[in-house]
Amino acid sequence: MTGCPPPGGLWVRRLAMNEKFAAYAHPEVLVDRAWIEEHLDDPNVRIVESNEDILLYDTGHIPGAVHIDWRRDLQDQTVRDYIREEGFAALCRRNGITESTTVVVYGDKSNWWACYAFWVFTLFGHKNLKVLDGGRDHWVAQDGPLTKEVPSLEPVPYPTPLKRRDDEIRAFFVDTLAHAKAALPLVDVRSPGEFSGEVTHMPEYPQEGVLRGGHIPGAHSCPWKTAANDDDTFKSREELAKIYEEGLGLKQDDNVVAYCRIGERSSHTWFVLTYLLGFENVRNYDGSWTEWGNMVGVPIERTND
Amino acid sequence: MNAFPEKLEEIIELFEHLPETERREMLISFSENTRQHEPREGETFDLEDVRKDDECTDEVGVFLNIDDQGGAHFRVKLGPKVQTLTRAMTAILCQGLDGSSPQALQEVPQDFVPRIVGSELVRLRSQTVYYVLTRMKSACAVYLKRERAAI
Repeated sequence: MTGCPPPGGLWVRRLAMNEKFAAYAHPEVLVDRAWIEEHLDDPNVRIVESNEDILLYDTGHIPGAVHIDWRRDLQDQTVRDYIREEGFAALCRRNGITESTTVVVYGDKSNWWACYAFWVFTLFGHKNLKVLDGGRDHWVAQDGPLTKEVPSLEPVPYPTPLKRRDDEIRAFFVDTLAHAKAALPLVDVRSPGEFSGEVTHMPEYPQEGVLRGGHIPGAHSCPWKTAANDDDTFKSREELAKIYEEGLGLKQDDNVVAYCRIGERSSHTWFVLTYLLGFENVRNYDGSWTEWGNMVGVPIERTND
Repeated sequence: MNAFPEKLEEIIELFEHLPETERREMLISFSENTRQHEPREGETFDLEDVRKDDECTDEVGVFLNIDDQGGAHFRVKLGPKVQTLTRAMTAILCQGLDGSSPQALQEVPQDFVPRIVGSELVRLRSQTVYYVLTRMKSACAVYLKRERAAI
């Protein structure tokens, strides 16, 4: 089937899309609708939906997709942390993911939680990961097929990863504090109001328990949304370079830490910087503002101070 | 005396006895029925309140009619980005509160929500399930204030 072009308009759209992908530093991590449709029955591909709306998967999902929930499946249930190595292996086994399975993530909110899942899978060293450009809303807007049928999967083998790679793509509070003191690049991807300290939660969201509004001293403000088009797809490499390289002055080999409130929006930015622009040393501070803003004895900055 | 209107109490009891899988299916079913509770062509209302607040992800329109016996009837229109749980709760409230008086509606406590939604689905970012009830109460309060002012 891969040698047979899809019908007219779709093929033209796919060529244009591929040109966009080809310009990225790592085009292999993005797929479009045509790619998904070609691989719906591919036993080496597992499509994973990950959302903020906890019931959205149940209302209909891409045929064959499994649901991985950021809270239930990716986080430890008693410690503010991610699952450990054995938990990750068990998650993969029950979702039909082997070590060599290509995992394609997509979800709501312009792929916030899809990028978060991508980041967690990367923490455990899973190699073949891709994101559906535009996520769930774009798929639905293109009239992509949906089903309520939940795939019935036999458990498959997945070796327990040797370690969680916290030291490579994750920044803890002490790392971020040292980063800020060393005046290294910090990217705050929250809304302008959250960055300035005017509000302590993002627009349209409940207060998530933070005592002070503001940002980490020295951080650049660059909301995650600047990297996404209105249809939820990623902006072109040229546009992204203007935002992060020309606008913020970041360089490819910079040591960068991104943060938001709980690490999901900054996963989106981590993905953009690492895979679309090719930055080599980007970490996500998942403790983010709900940790920093509440920490005793830690300085913050407010824009209008 | 029940703390909740009778129709709402029936829905709460129905959900409380459902296993988790069926509870989810029932919530999805309610969420898919939201359109039945939207205003219909040519309908007029005693009060219309359409707006988008910081607490909700999209526009929510609450439309209130009071019948001759003083019973409240709601229609609600939700924007496409409103979360599934909030959609489900909207349909539940339109059905469960139908015919209650505006005075009684203002007294409805919100602690029934976890009894319907269940502990597994209650999380911080699902708090907008409370939002539509707040908007309905607010519409009733405005209606009653106008009524008092007219006397």
